[in-house]
Amino acid sequence: MRRPSPMAMLGVAIIFTVCAISALAPWLTQIDPTKSSVFFLSPPDAEHWLGTDDLGRDVYARLLYGGRSSLLVGIGAALIATLIGVPVGLVAGYVGGRADVLASQFINMFIALPGLVLALMITAMIGPTLANLTLVLGIVTWPRVARLVRGQAFAIREALFVEAARASGGGALWIIRKHILPNALRVIAAQFALSVAYSIFTSASLSFLGLGVPPPTPDWGGMVRTGLDYLAINPVMSMAPSVAVAMTVLGFYCVGSSIK
Amino acid sequence: MGAVIARRLAWAIPNCALITAILFFCVAGLLGSPAALMLGRDATPQAIAEMNARLGFDRPLLTQYLEWMGKALTGDFGRSYTTHQTVAEAILPRLPVTLELGLLAIGLATVAAIAFNSLRGWFARPAATALAIIGITVPNFVLGLSLIFLFSVELGWLPSVGWSPWSSGAATHVQHILLPVLTLSAYYYGSFSLVYQAEFDAMLGRLFVRVARAKGLSERQTNFRHVLPNSILPVITYVGLSLGQLMGGAVVTETLFSIPGIGSLFVDSILSRDYPVMLAVGMIIIVTVVLMNLIADLLYAFANPQIRIE
Repeated sequence: MRRPSPMAMLGVAIIFTVCAISALAPWLTQIDPTKSSVFFLSPPDAEHWLGTDDLGRDVYARLLYGGRSSLLVGIGAALIATLIGVPVGLVAGYVGGRADVLASQFINMFIALPGLVLALMITAMIGPTLANLTLVLGIVTWPRVARLVRGQAFAIREALFVEAARASGGGALWIIRKHILPNALRVIAAQFALSVAYSIFTSASLSFLGLGVPPPTPDWGGMVRTGLDYLAINPVMSMAPSVAVAMTVLGFYCVGSSIK
Repeated sequence: MGAVIARRLAWAIPNCALITAILFFCVAGLLGSPAALMLGRDATPQAIAEMNARLGFDRPLLTQYLEWMGKALTGDFGRSYTTHQTVAEAILPRLPVTLELGLLAIGLATVAAIAFNSLRGWFARPAATALAIIGITVPNFVLGLSLIFLFSVELGWLPSVGWSPWSSGAATHVQHILLPVLTLSAYYYGSFSLVYQAEFDAMLGRLFVRVARAKGLSERQTNFRHVLPNSILPVITYVGLSLGQLMGGAVVTETLFSIPGIGSLFVDSILSRDYPVMLAVGMIIIVTVVLMNLIADLLYAFANPQIRIE
């Protein structure tokens, strides 16, 4: 067992912190993140540690709770992407032939399209709810997973042990399950973390553009959007969620790229 | 070469047709009746049916798609529901804005990625890598916001948001486009850097590098004169692919900086359910992607004879 790289440890530390903060939010602040008050746009003070937003809601509380939707959407979307992408990639890569050509064409075409644009269109059609956003980002992300897994399966299929399994009469599905999948697991795990990073990145961008989790649910991308108008009055209002998004994405990216 | 072009075109055209058809059916099928959207909540079902019949929305979707496609090929995308100008009028003045922004950003990212990552000092390389990771992981709106905060709010050097065309003076134009270009180029810089670094480091072990060092060139001379030209090809491929994202890639940056480009038009049309504009812009974004990939493929086949024989 190699010692984990500093990058991996940094990533794990960030992910752990973000998850802990999101889970423990009710214990870290007593303030309700959706409760408005008449003290709007007040600068940070003893009661409101990061000040209040344009509707008088506490920015600190919203920041703590805001990670929940990002993490749910990010991890949920990565799960969906893995569940679709891995089987497609395994079959296309192992079976090969015409099925592979067709699947690869489709996957490459999908990947070439800007992910955010695709997500924007689908979200606009089916409406931005937490479940829909997760589904949309899963749909946008799966071709990347499929392409990677396909490449792995394609390479492993030439290995001697696979040929031996085939020679002793193993069927395609059995070989995929027993030989190809276990050897691709590392890459799948790495891509899972990268998919989470990508989904959080994209869902925050969607919220920023006005198609995120509907208000009053606190959400980082949406907080940045509102805070933008008051950048000169209370910069913390948009800077704090900005840093939170960037750090979370960085955390998952570090873990994903160091497993690879 | 002719056969290669023919084969790629044979793939590209059905690709375009397929994606636009999916796009059309999804938009038309899921957005519901445009008449209901136009007439508002108080409309009677009768009025909606009448308007649908008048505009031809009661016909089968396939007929509607073929008609829309036929008109689109002649440049007629219909009229916007919100501003009532023709869609072409809404799009055309915005094209050069997005093109300028995107080309400048990709150009800057390419030059920066190659220059920064060709240095291998104890400081230069980690700094270039850190910058690349920041570029990949920090969302556009976060980076743009930080730049606005630093240069506009705190230092007051540059205007925060808004747009000023060339016609109202080169100096103000540059002032307005500087931060958006920096913001947009960060992600491109990050991805180009990672590709270039891997290729560059793999080149360093090659014999010609040792020969160059042995004949007395300094490390920097070797890197720039011998290693750089040999490791630039994957970056060029990557730049080609990124050019496909030219139209759709600046959505967030344009919205953040209030730049009247294709991306912000797209977001506006989505938020206001302006369906002819949304379809037309979506179509432009998709066709750009397919077209640029086609060009990149052809250039690659032109540069690398092995691909032509395949």
